[in-house]
Amino acid sequence: MKGIPEHHLSRMPDNTAMKQQNLPAYQLRFSATVVLSIFFGTGVFCLCMGVILILSVKSTKKIEINYTKICSNCAQLRENAFNFDKECICSIPFYLPEKMEGNVYMYYKLSGFYQNLYRYIQSRSNNQLVGEALRDVEDCAPFKVSHHGTPIVPCGAIANSMFNDTIILSYKLNSSMHITVPMLKNGLTWWTDKYVKFQNPSFNNFSSKFAGSTKPPYWPKPIYDLDRNNVENNGFLNDDFIVWMRTAAFPTFKKLYRRLYRIHYFTEGLPAGNYSFNISYNFPVTRFHGEKSVVLSTLTWCGGGGFFLGVAYTVTGALTWLASFALMAVHLMWKKKKIAYQKKSYALRRKTENRNGQ
Amino acid sequence: MDRMEARNPLVPVKVPGMLHEERESKCEPQRSEGKSSVGVAQVRRGPFHPGGNVRRCAGYRTAGRFLCYCRTQQAGFWYLSQGTESGMVEKYLNPAVRAEHIPSAMALSCGCENCLLGGGTTPHSPLCWRTPRRFWKISGEQDFSCGSGLTVNRMPSELDKKSKKQRQSLLEKVKVKSGRETGSAEKTRENIYIRVLRRGAGSHPSHIVKRTRFWTQNEARIGSRHQRAELELLPREEKKYVSRFWKEIHVGDFVRLRCNEIVPADILLLSSSDPDGLCHIETANLDGETNLKRRQVVRGFSDLVSEFNPLTFTSVIECEKPNNDLTRFRGCITHSSGEKAGLRTENLLLRGCTVRNTEAVAGIVVYAGHETKALLNNSGPRYKRSQLERQMNVDVLWCVLLLLCMSLFSAIGHGLWVRRHQEKKALFAVPESDGSSSSPVTAAVYSFLTMIIVLQVLIPISLYVSIEIVKVCQVYFINQDLDLYDEETDSRLQCRALNITEDLGQIQYIFSDKTGTLTENKMVFRRCTVSGVEYSHDANAQRLARYQEADSEEEEMAPQRGSWSRRGSTGSHQSVRVVHRTQSTKSHRHSGSRAEAKWASVLSRHTAFSSPMEKDVTPDPQLLEKVRECGRCLAMARHQEQPLGRLSPELSDIFDFFVALTVCNTVVVTSPDQPRQKVRVRFELKSPVKTIEDFLRRFTPSRLASVSSSTGSLATAKCSHKSGSGFLSSLSSDSTFLKLQERLGQPAPSVSSNGYSSQAESWAPEHKPEPEQCQDAELRYEAESPDEAALVYAARAYSCVLVDRLPDQVSVELPHLGRLSFELLHTLGFDATRKRMSVVIRHPLTGEISVYTKGADSALMDLLLPCSSEDARGRHQKRIRSKTQRFLNLYALQGLRTLCIAKRVLSKEEYACWLQGHLAAESALDNREELLFQSALRLETDLHLLGATGIEDRLQDGVPETISKLRQAGLHIWVLTGDKQETAVNIAHACRLLGHDEEIITLNAESQEACAALLEQSLQYARSRAPCSTPEKTEGNIPVGFFPLCSASKPATTAASGPSLSLVVDGRSLAYALEKNLEDKFLFLAKQCRSVLCCRSTPLQKSMVVKLVRSKLKAMTLAIGDGANDVSMIQVADVGVGISGQEGMQAVMASDVAVPKFRYLERLLIVHGHWCYSRLANMVLYFFYKNTMFVGLLFWFQFFCGFSASAMIDQWYLIFFNLLFSSLPQLVTGVLDKDVPAGTLLAEPQLYRSGQKMEESWPRAFWLNMVDAAFQSLVCFFIPYLAYYDSDVDMFTWGTPVTAIALLTFLLHLGIETKTWTWLNWTACGFSVLLFLMVALIYNSACAACYPPSNPYWTMQTLLRDPVFYLTCLIAPVTALLPRLFFKALQGSLFPTQLQLGHQLTKKCCETLKTPKETFAQGHLSGESQTELSQGSPANPSECLARDCASQASQHTQQPPACSPEASGKPSAVDTSVPLRENSLLGPLGPSTPGEAVSGECPGHLQRTPLGPGQAAPLSLFSLPSFGSLGWVSSLSAVSGLGSILRFSRSNLHVAKRDGKLLPGPPQPEQALSGSQRPATDS
Repeated sequence: MKGIPEHHLSRMPDNTAMKQQNLPAYQLRFSATVVLSIFFGTGVFCLCMGVILILSVKSTKKIEINYTKICSNCAQLRENAFNFDKECICSIPFYLPEKMEGNVYMYYKLSGFYQNLYRYIQSRSNNQLVGEALRDVEDCAPFKVSHHGTPIVPCGAIANSMFNDTIILSYKLNSSMHITVPMLKNGLTWWTDKYVKFQNPSFNNFSSKFAGSTKPPYWPKPIYDLDRNNVENNGFLNDDFIVWMRTAAFPTFKKLYRRLYRIHYFTEGLPAGNYSFNISYNFPVTRFHGEKSVVLSTLTWCGGGGFFLGVAYTVTGALTWLASFALMAVHLMWKKKKIAYQKKSYALRRKTENRNGQ
Repeated sequence: MDRMEARNPLVPVKVPGMLHEERESKCEPQRSEGKSSVGVAQVRRGPFHPGGNVRRCAGYRTAGRFLCYCRTQQAGFWYLSQGTESGMVEKYLNPAVRAEHIPSAMALSCGCENCLLGGGTTPHSPLCWRTPRRFWKISGEQDFSCGSGLTVNRMPSELDKKSKKQRQSLLEKVKVKSGRETGSAEKTRENIYIRVLRRGAGSHPSHIVKRTRFWTQNEARIGSRHQRAELELLPREEKKYVSRFWKEIHVGDFVRLRCNEIVPADILLLSSSDPDGLCHIETANLDGETNLKRRQVVRGFSDLVSEFNPLTFTSVIECEKPNNDLTRFRGCITHSSGEKAGLRTENLLLRGCTVRNTEAVAGIVVYAGHETKALLNNSGPRYKRSQLERQMNVDVLWCVLLLLCMSLFSAIGHGLWVRRHQEKKALFAVPESDGSSSSPVTAAVYSFLTMIIVLQVLIPISLYVSIEIVKVCQVYFINQDLDLYDEETDSRLQCRALNITEDLGQIQYIFSDKTGTLTENKMVFRRCTVSGVEYSHDANAQRLARYQEADSEEEEMAPQRGSWSRRGSTGSHQSVRVVHRTQSTKSHRHSGSRAEAKWASVLSRHTAFSSPMEKDVTPDPQLLEKVRECGRCLAMARHQEQPLGRLSPELSDIFDFFVALTVCNTVVVTSPDQPRQKVRVRFELKSPVKTIEDFLRRFTPSRLASVSSSTGSLATAKCSHKSGSGFLSSLSSDSTFLKLQERLGQPAPSVSSNGYSSQAESWAPEHKPEPEQCQDAELRYEAESPDEAALVYAARAYSCVLVDRLPDQVSVELPHLGRLSFELLHTLGFDATRKRMSVVIRHPLTGEISVYTKGADSALMDLLLPCSSEDARGRHQKRIRSKTQRFLNLYALQGLRTLCIAKRVLSKEEYACWLQGHLAAESALDNREELLFQSALRLETDLHLLGATGIEDRLQDGVPETISKLRQAGLHIWVLTGDKQETAVNIAHACRLLGHDEEIITLNAESQEACAALLEQSLQYARSRAPCSTPEKTEGNIPVGFFPLCSASKPATTAASGPSLSLVVDGRSLAYALEKNLEDKFLFLAKQCRSVLCCRSTPLQKSMVVKLVRSKLKAMTLAIGDGANDVSMIQVADVGVGISGQEGMQAVMASDVAVPKFRYLERLLIVHGHWCYSRLANMVLYFFYKNTMFVGLLFWFQFFCGFSASAMIDQWYLIFFNLLFSSLPQLVTGVLDKDVPAGTLLAEPQLYRSGQKMEESWPRAFWLNMVDAAFQSLVCFFIPYLAYYDSDVDMFTWGTPVTAIALLTFLLHLGIETKTWTWLNWTACGFSVLLFLMVALIYNSACAACYPPSNPYWTMQTLLRDPVFYLTCLIAPVTALLPRLFFKALQGSLFPTQLQLGHQLTKKCCETLKTPKETFAQGHLSGESQTELSQGSPANPSECLARDCASQASQHTQQPPACSPEASGKPSAVDTSVPLRENSLLGPLGPSTPGEAVSGECPGHLQRTPLGPGQAAPLSLFSLPSFGSLGWVSSLSAVSGLGSILRFSRSNLHVAKRDGKLLPGPPQPEQALSGSQRPATDS
């Protein structure tokens, strides 16, 4: 009987930490210390970050001019589609009170323009844009082919609705002297967009590349005429086109249009003074109550965005501090109450005990 | 001639369709030739109207041929049963009717032969007729016709040959297919071959299986398993059994089975190799019982002189419809002679049983396939859905609703938006392909549908998968828990149901069986009274006490056994010592006597009820002396050929008493060397009296002269009508026996200890002591109930040894008398209504016919011979009776199970008279049970009381502790037992189910009205809760000895708090109370009571009670039991727990969880149940949160995209997000998280209540959770929105940070919810983030022009260079989680306030009460459980203990100071003085505690360290070393997180207090007993 071999206990579970759920574990408990330190720590961090962000955003300069109304005559002209070939140039003078240092970027800003519609964002052909198959217009409905059956290049709703105002910034050097501020058309896009995602088809003759295709219905000129001066900026590789094709997330958005070419007067940025935008008004927005603006802005390390992030950090930090103080207060109050209650209940209990004892 | 072959091709028709076609094509030409019958043509051509009464036709078309099977209501031909379920009817339709042999309609209506043997196709589809028969039928060998009543069957010879060839080839196929080896015995169901002798079609008119009388010679088949290969070659005339698959067995087949084969269908036993016509079967597959059961050959066949020959079988069998009653089978067989014989359960071999101890049996199949009782019983388990899942499903519906709302909202929004922009011809508007812009309505509809798809993440499909995974892991962990492993039986807890683990954490009511569940079900013979004299068996008691001591020693060694782990814990500083201790404990176990017993029981596990403790009985010397004297007298009388009348009444009573103990049972004697080898010692061959002629033959005066002792004289005289073998065996009986003894091996040293063997030698020198001892040691008794075995073992201790039992005789070895063979005339088995069993035997010495009856005292005492007080004998009897009654009460008070033994001597005439009635009853077809019952009643009257026995059923280890723990956990425990009230109440007291200061309401009502009145009164009483006036109505009914206990407790119960009530109901009252009109009252009363005890309840009542509570109180119920009688209750309860104990496996098989012992329930529920529930509940909530929050992000975006259903999150991220990125951490948490450590849970069972209350708090928790999710999604959406507002960000470059933010928020949220962080959690979280990053990086660099519309080339890479990305990813999760964290912290300090105060309060009380448990509990809770522990700064000893408890079980007792040095040694940050003071207090107290601990009160006894009033200090906030000890926390954050608040209930305190006082309780009855015992023994 004694010599029972151990294997009789064959069903004995293994005594391992895993199987016995005894893995060494750190117990995360929200004790007062932990909670309060978390709150205070977070608060300090957020406040610091908030201050830093606000300060850095403050250093940026930004000027935004809404030209929807200013150029209302042009807008009215554009409301009628028959006037599509009539040129309308609108000049908007403005005064730049402070010098804009560093890299200055020019954006156009649209509001009320929904680039994120479900069917809108799908209406594009990446294969076409990458220069591989011009005839691949499958995804581009309803802007796939022209009446003649030739494929639209670039096809799709996104390309069709491309922003086509021309904005020229001119600097009033003095009362009579206007010079055009030199702007760069390149470097507006992501590098990968320009060199990977968008490629012109490889043919010898540039315009023959796009032979047998039709321009999008809303476009005044075909794709290979976007920038005749610069082959690198023409066709699918046109920076404005690429920028437009990156569909904006929200109905109000701005897109990079030009960046300052820092030469001559503008090596340090835009000097203060009188400027004017000369806008060739082509893009109709009033039909859908949209608005157009042009924005000049500088950037910092955290982008040119508004104060929101800084404010968010600050507010969160402040809230965290508030919360921790509230917790502390509750804690202290509760302690007092508890002790009082304790005494009372103890006395009560003693009484009952005594009664029971008798 | 060949037809039969064709009919039974040795083909497993696994894919009937395929085979068909194969043959179909081959046989096509022949078939047309073979079909000249009109009927067939009819069938083929069109609708079939034989009697104009067609109900349904089933058609079957193969290769242009249409087979039609029709059923008509009473057609002359297509007879089909009426009222049968259509499914059945379909099955009965047998396409393969051998109509040419069967001119009558009856024959054609086939039996169940086609009923899908082992198949799984639906009965309605024509394909279900997939027996081999259709096979040949279709091949054209045979046809059937319908309508005309004529069948023409043509079998062209060439076809026959061809089919033969085909069969041959198929045969080869089969061989290959199943991979069988010829001659090897396969055990698997599919492959096993049985010898089948097929006969003609069984007929089956209206659920009576009738054997047709005609069958053809050529249907007898040839071959056997080993001859399968030459099967086809053997001439058909040889008529042998052939091997068949199980599924080919049809009703009406003859089947021959050999030893150890599994019965393939329900078979009527027609022949057995056993000369007695017996067959032993083991029903382990059916009910888990391993003892041998006996089956008998049908009467009429057992007397066959020659071997059973199926070829000459001409009887008709009628039996009842297939049903699922395993214990009932009725029918009758009509022999060709017109003689009828009844069929009983004893004649039926049920499918699934194993033939044992019998060389070969043959029988005819009565039910096959799905109609077998075993399969009909197999209704499949009730699908249990956990409560959590049910709640979850409701929430899922809410989610669906939410989804619809969101989609609808979005659709309307989009419609409006489209309408606004419609006329504008906006540049961005995408027109339809025809140039027109879509109408707002169409756009809205499309948007709605798109939204549903986009937002479908909200429906947590993956939740179900995750839940399954988590549950599987939980079950795995439960199964693996070392603390739930029982070393004694080498069994561990098994979770058999996967889907209800979390229900374990919500149980509110426990329904427990008593016997075998609370008790060990090891029946130990304790004492007996014979002829009014009590034999107290003190030595026996001492022996039992020794076992107990061994137990308690062990308990000392491991006081926390069953509660905490016995093994070393890895993290403990004591681990080295721990391991050492564990080993020493083990070695102790090995050496101790108890350990031996355990090992023995492990060894002998396959024989039930034979642990040494049960086997060894130390005889009472006084009684032993009397037995010897009695034996001596009888021996003398026999030698002197004197009648036995010379024995004194007392001695003769004693003699009869032991004879009754030995004989009056159904114990089977086996020898352990060949465990299933019946010990056959035959002295003569006789069967129980079966007929009157038999009786007359046997009981002629001449026979009486021959005393059937040990020689075969009678046998030789009688053997004329018996078979030769019997004759031989009877002749050589003595020698056989001697041989047997030799064969049984070396006389091993007697295991039956305690002096029995030495005594045996001393008093029986004239017998061969050695073989006898050997015999005693070796013989093993297999009993159906442990009581029987206990009694037989007890008789053996008095050297009345049951040597052999045959159906017709029982051989008993008696002192001085040697071996006596009692002729067993009848056995009236035990049943629950009679509560007794009887045997009718013929006494070998006197030849008189006596009835020995054994049964419950309540059943027997009324049946005694009324004794007149006139004559001395009558007075004596009366005195005996009253004395016995007194002892019986005494036994019951002690918690012993009592049995009365009585005897009746029948005169021959009486017997003949009774026999006549009995035989009539036996052969009756209708109402047989009732008649048999009446017959038994006639026999069991006018009994002469011999004595009574008291059998002890010991409480299992740790039952009282477990019960009190479960009580504290807020569980109501009801005990439902079949035992008698006194015993049950006593056991209830012993296991502290009933406190001694509790008021007990007893419901013993005789009628419905009385019951109603009683209930009303009790209710009023319970409502009023007036100072204890024990309910007057109970007084009359309260049994003696039990009442004083209650009244004694009266003063205590007048306390202000009031006593708790308990309810005791007996079976009859329960039946009344469960009536529709009373059940509400009963339930209301029961709800008021702390515990409810239902005695004398039947299995059905048990299940009804459970059902009642479950349905009316909407409570979660758990039923625990070990026996077959608990099965129904187990199945009905929400959670069924089976105890894999002594009494078979039936309960275990029906259960969801099987535990080795009752005490494991504590850990199972309190620890694992709580864990499972909290884990799963948290996970489910988290899942909902996660999905809602994620969907929220998408939804908010709709406001910015004109509700056009576009998603800023890339499609692939959408798909992978739930699947990959965020799934693993929550799974890990769901599997591993422990909100409260096991030690704390065990120490504070109150924590369990959180699970019970969760139900109410669930909706609130859910909606809070959803609101939080909505808030978080708002934050996580608008922070990036505003951060990127007015920038040139594109849609998917903005969507990616949102995804990242969501992921981080989820992980942080999970981090807040996770209580224990193991490396697995860290890994999983890290893995999630890394996986997201990697996938995003790879995906975003994979293809420049792919994945429209997002086309995310280089997005992630660009973002990673953007500081705004990091800034938003930082601030958004923090802001999103801030409120949650804040409220959690606030809740931790505000809500647990009450909890804390409650514990403060109880701590104070416990100081005075000195109830260690409570102190411990508060220590834990106030000390905020393990927080400080993990931080290494114990604030008070309880924490240090808690850690110890959690890590190491048994150390506290031995090393009380062990934890205090540690406590003091720990650096305390702010104020070390408090802990130090505590330690100084603890020090001196330490050594005193072990003593208390031995009482087994509380594992955490150390905590009892009184904390002075000044000790409140550790709880004040900032003076503490640990800031958090004040309970900032959420020590129960799972609980609080779900919004439920744990409250400390005052009642627990009372419980504990009472428990404390209860300790000295149990001796009380002992004293009472010893008091009353003395006068008894004196007299």
